[in-house]
Amino acid sequence: MNYERQYVWSILFRLFHWALALSIVVLAITGFYIHDPWTNSVLEGGGRFPMATMRYIHFVAGFVFTAALIVRLYLFLFGNRHERILSAAPVTGRNIKNLFTTLAYYSYATDRHEHRLGHNAVAGTVYLITYFFVIGQMLTGFYMLYPESATWQSIGGPLFGIQQQARFIHYLIMWYMFIFVAIHLYLLIWNDIKSPEGMISSIFTGNKFKPKHDRA
Amino acid sequence: MTSNSDELVMNPEVSRRGFLKGCTMAAAALGLSDAMIPKLVEAAANPQKPPVVWLHFQECTGCTESLLRASHPDIGRLILDIISLDYHETVMAAAGHQAEEQLQKTIKEYEGKFICVVEGGIPTKDGGVYCKISGRTAMDILADVAPKAAAVIAIGSCAAFGGIQAAEPNPTGAVGVRDLVSGTPVINVPGCPPNPVAFLGTVLHYLTFKRLPETDYLGRPLFAYGRKIHDHCERRAHFDEGRFAEEFGDTGHKAGYCLYKVGCKGPETYNNCPTARFNDAGVWPVSVGHGCIGCSEPAFWDMMSPFYERLPGVPIPGGDGIVASAESTGKKILGVAGAAIGIHAAVGIGKRLVKGKSDDEK
Ligand code: HEM
Ligand code: SF4
Repeated sequence: MNYERQYVWSILFRLFHWALALSIVVLAITGFYIHDPWTNSVLEGGGRFPMATMRYIHFVAGFVFTAALIVRLYLFLFGNRHERILSAAPVTGRNIKNLFTTLAYYSYATDRHEHRLGHNAVAGTVYLITYFFVIGQMLTGFYMLYPESATWQSIGGPLFGIQQQARFIHYLIMWYMFIFVAIHLYLLIWNDIKSPEGMISSIFTGNKFKPKHDRA
Repeated sequence: MTSNSDELVMNPEVSRRGFLKGCTMAAAALGLSDAMIPKLVEAAANPQKPPVVWLHFQECTGCTESLLRASHPDIGRLILDIISLDYHETVMAAAGHQAEEQLQKTIKEYEGKFICVVEGGIPTKDGGVYCKISGRTAMDILADVAPKAAAVIAIGSCAAFGGIQAAEPNPTGAVGVRDLVSGTPVINVPGCPPNPVAFLGTVLHYLTFKRLPETDYLGRPLFAYGRKIHDHCERRAHFDEGRFAEEFGDTGHKAGYCLYKVGCKGPETYNNCPTARFNDAGVWPVSVGHGCIGCSEPAFWDMMSPFYERLPGVPIPGGDGIVASAESTGKKILGVAGAAIGIHAAVGIGKRLVKGKSDDEK
């Protein structure tokens, strides 16, 4: 089969992706430390401040995470045609059909599948769910970060309840992130093996490879 | 040894020194400059004492007890001195019909002028039959008294948020005052019990400025509940430096390290315990080695427990109320996801071995 190179992911999109991915790694490690500080510095006067440092890194990464989210929301509206929200959201007839054919493809029921440049509809749906949790993580995070702010109290209180509930939700979403990342990485490798469109390298280079005969 | 209550009975008058001291403490709690203290004193010394009706519903009377039995009785006495307590089931001399007459008289005579203090949750299930006083349900009494009051102060977490009897599954349908009263301003002074200073500050603020203090979204006065325990805690340096008690009685605990890992809820609780402290002896739970349990937050009995864990467990639906810790649940779900990935990959490999590569892969 002949393949041709196509430009799919803009630079801004790739920057958003890596900002989000790296910030999640940092947030998960530091967040886990905040949840259960595994070190215990019995030495007094060491001045190493592990908890203060971890929290500091967590909050800085939290702002990177939030910036990445804002960029993604912008691209949902003003990105290129693969990046816009309707390209993969399961609301158009074409995407709903693609949702089922992709599910069949992923469950080995068929080898036939639509060659798409952007996300397939399964990915699109899961990403939308993920952004829902990402927004939840951001809101609970800022609610905890600015506990004395009347604005954040009036947002966080009705949405999540007291600080402890927000913290609990924040912690549970961390586990969602772990599961998402595991499946995300697995399906990327799986796709890369099954069809050589270069899905993994596309997030570095922006390019994907498509069979020459059918066009998306 | 004379107990405080004996002392209170024997010497019901507050000394001038005690009076000024109490007003000064309230001014400090309110964050007022010392220039305001004379104003507070003036308002508190006004012979026109505001009548107060104190209603007791589903509760343990701990709020009243802690108010009146403060080791240094001045605050309790000061409160009794600046208000005219016309109806209070625990401390009034009248009983039975006499007491109820007194209540009716006060709310009629001082309609729109008296302060109503509510202590205790209000059961609403089955017509409110789970709490009755002189044949009337708590709901009826509140509906009778609250609309006629100038303001309602809900003292304690029961009156503010329903309290311990509102814990899952809340068999009596207990709720707080704000769930039932609208039209009359309601201020919440939660805690189990709240610090007498928070109550005194609220009352003095009202007497001095003729309005209730500013509150947060839960109706709690910001002067007492505006900041988190954790941000004023004396063990905070240990937290930042990563020194924790791993369990009660270990070396870290004996050395006074942070109680975060034994479930302290200071990071999630708004209150001024570390600064106001209790019982005039300068103590509060964390200072004596027990973590904060978050008693001034709504639903603390559900959300802040287990008290010695950082976070609540996850109830597994359909699992006969099994509660696993959130972390082990998370790990299990991750394990299931991992297993699913493994099976998916194995099926793919198996299929390829049987059927060969698909078109795309060639
Ligand atoms: C994927 C993203 C994130 C993950 C996995 C994550 C994870 C965590 C975890 C596990 C905790 C500890 C909860 C506990 O057990 O007590 C935590 C705390 C916290 N996180 Fe995040 N977090 C993320 C994003 C954010 C964001 C965007 C912010 C906003 C700036 C934020 C702010 C906070 C704050 C303020 C705390 C409380 C720290 C403290 O009070 O000591 N987090 N996070
Ligand atoms: S003891 Fe509690 S309130 Fe104090 S620093 Fe530790 S976690 Fe915070």
